[in-house]
Amino acid sequence: MKNRRKDTLISYAWSGPSLILIALMVVFPILYTAYISLTNMNVYHWFDFTIIGLDNYFRALFVFDSGFLSALLATTLWTVVNMIFQLVIAFTLVSLLNVRKVKLRRLYKTLLMFPWAMPGYVSILLWKTGMFNTQFGLLNQWMEKLGHEAVRWLSSDVSAFLCCTVVNLWLALPFMIMIMDGAMQSIDRSYFESAVLDGATWLERTRYITIPAITPIIAPAVIITVFTTFKQFDVVYLLTQQAGAKTGSGFHTILTYAYENAFITNNYGYSSAISMIIFILLLVFSARYQMREEGDR
Amino acid sequence: MKRLLSAFLCVCLLLCLTACGEKALDPAEASKLVIWHDKEDAVVAALEDYLAAAVPELQIAFEKKTSLTDSLKLVGNDPSAAPDLFIFAHDKIGVFAEMGILAPIEPLLEEGALVNFLPMTLDAATYKDTLYQLPLYFETLLFMYNRRYMQDEEVPATTDALLTYMENNTGRGRFGFVEQHSTAYYSAAWIHGFGGSIIDDSGVPFPDSQAVRDALNYHARFVALMPGETEYNTVNTLFLEGKADATIGGPWMVPSARAAQIDLGFAPMPAVDATGKALAPYSGVQGIHVLKFAAEAKTDAVRKLLSALTDSAIGIELALASGCAPANALSYEDERVANDELVQSMRTTAEIAVPMPNIPEMDVMWTVVGNLLTDVNLSGKDIDESFTAALAQANQLIGAMK
Repeated sequence: MKNRRKDTLISYAWSGPSLILIALMVVFPILYTAYISLTNMNVYHWFDFTIIGLDNYFRALFVFDSGFLSALLATTLWTVVNMIFQLVIAFTLVSLLNVRKVKLRRLYKTLLMFPWAMPGYVSILLWKTGMFNTQFGLLNQWMEKLGHEAVRWLSSDVSAFLCCTVVNLWLALPFMIMIMDGAMQSIDRSYFESAVLDGATWLERTRYITIPAITPIIAPAVIITVFTTFKQFDVVYLLTQQAGAKTGSGFHTILTYAYENAFITNNYGYSSAISMIIFILLLVFSARYQMREEGDR
Repeated sequence: MKRLLSAFLCVCLLLCLTACGEKALDPAEASKLVIWHDKEDAVVAALEDYLAAAVPELQIAFEKKTSLTDSLKLVGNDPSAAPDLFIFAHDKIGVFAEMGILAPIEPLLEEGALVNFLPMTLDAATYKDTLYQLPLYFETLLFMYNRRYMQDEEVPATTDALLTYMENNTGRGRFGFVEQHSTAYYSAAWIHGFGGSIIDDSGVPFPDSQAVRDALNYHARFVALMPGETEYNTVNTLFLEGKADATIGGPWMVPSARAAQIDLGFAPMPAVDATGKALAPYSGVQGIHVLKFAAEAKTDAVRKLLSALTDSAIGIELALASGCAPANALSYEDERVANDELVQSMRTTAEIAVPMPNIPEMDVMWTVVGNLLTDVNLSGKDIDESFTAALAQANQLIGAMK
């Protein structure tokens, strides 16, 4: 009994520094945001703010109007579409990279990691100016060569959604490819050799060996990507909603919508309340997923 | 163990008591001033050189901050992290004054120090009857043209003439005139030309709604002849590459235009035919602000610095270094400044320019007007419906600020 308690204490002592770091970097900001959301901290009460209870939460509900609901719907669609494309494209590329006869495999892998090495902000603005710009973008230069009119790629909701998806895939694929490649390489070759001897086709090997074997390994990466995609801000904001460079598209994720309808007010109490509601929303999604996973086990 | 604990608590108590005591700054510390800014190198170099000669007894450090206003919101009342002064445009004065981090400027100046300052710059720097900024120079938008494509006699005096010019000279990858048509800062000139405004001094959005609607309606005819993008890079590149004959742009465009060997001409803003009023752009007054704790703890050093900056010589230095239009009227008496076409154009435009509102409510109006312009100009939505939605959003956001 005494030994077990000692072991527990030693375990906590070892993981203590990282737990403190996590508490400082993750838990403290959340708790502080929750505290600010209960105060009247704004331009007029910047340093002398007081606790006003749940007032900000009641006011925040007005932001969750029809515009917010359509942004929530668009965000869900955005997440689903992006995840499907990411998984399919990453799986296809990784499968091709793992074909035995492929030469220069390492070079391809390095090239596929390239978008990850660039700062996201730079990549997004390069895409916006270099590819989608009506006057100078590569896409319109091709259109011109083909004898077509210039297209304003980011001006309508649907085309902006597709362009944002392309840029998001460019930014997110390296992570998924890396995880999926590692997972695929960890599968014992003998499974495939036995399957080939049994006459299994490529499709059957993929369905009965590859996918079941990589699923538990890539699951955490998928969960992380679902959340980063759901709370995406940079891609959508910089491509279509940036102040002084709006494109005419009305495509908003919940974060870009909340930014335009709350965060610019300099009312930190009110903005924190909205952040907390979005945080709780994500927490509910996460909890539902975790519970389903527990159920599957 | 108990002894150790008691000793530890005693040390803590002593530390607390020491921290409570007022600490007077030593003379060396009191003569050190940190100034945050987000200005271009030429402006800062001119300021550094001038101050090194004018107040050699002060140790002045200029620190560039890219997100200066956000940083000030976080540390504005913390002397250990905040600067003593900062240089920024006047439009954030209301926000910082309401936050309580700015010191009034006038008590720190000698009597009569502001007599020669242009009234427009002092008005811009005043919030609720208190001057919170010592103006250094101002910027405003200018009508610029490329003499290779637009001759001096072709420069349109009215907006209808400009529209005719655009119709005759736009097409096949070329534009008669370009501007950042769907951004609030640029579009304000058109709204003012119709007698409207984005927000009034008491924080009421769009006080003359019909004027704004008329401006949007008329301006849409010009937008149809401009590129679909409204951002700076596209407009700037089109003009610099000689694909646009004329533009409305800031003085910050001038160095790159000259580097691109464009034969640059400046002209007065065209007048709106329907109202007879010229397009009146916003002006931004750049100046130095003093933080409250610096005004209290380093009063002498701050006074010396401000006194040096009220001299007309700094205006001359800034004008010569980077084409800034000085806030001090005496600076224009210098022959070199008087002969500078860019500076003189800005001074002329300043007579009709409207200082950007400095009330906190303006912070949300940039987004509201940006959305309104995007809806009308880029999404092709109905003007009346878009205006009604923008007004509702403005009222909601202004309400949410409090």
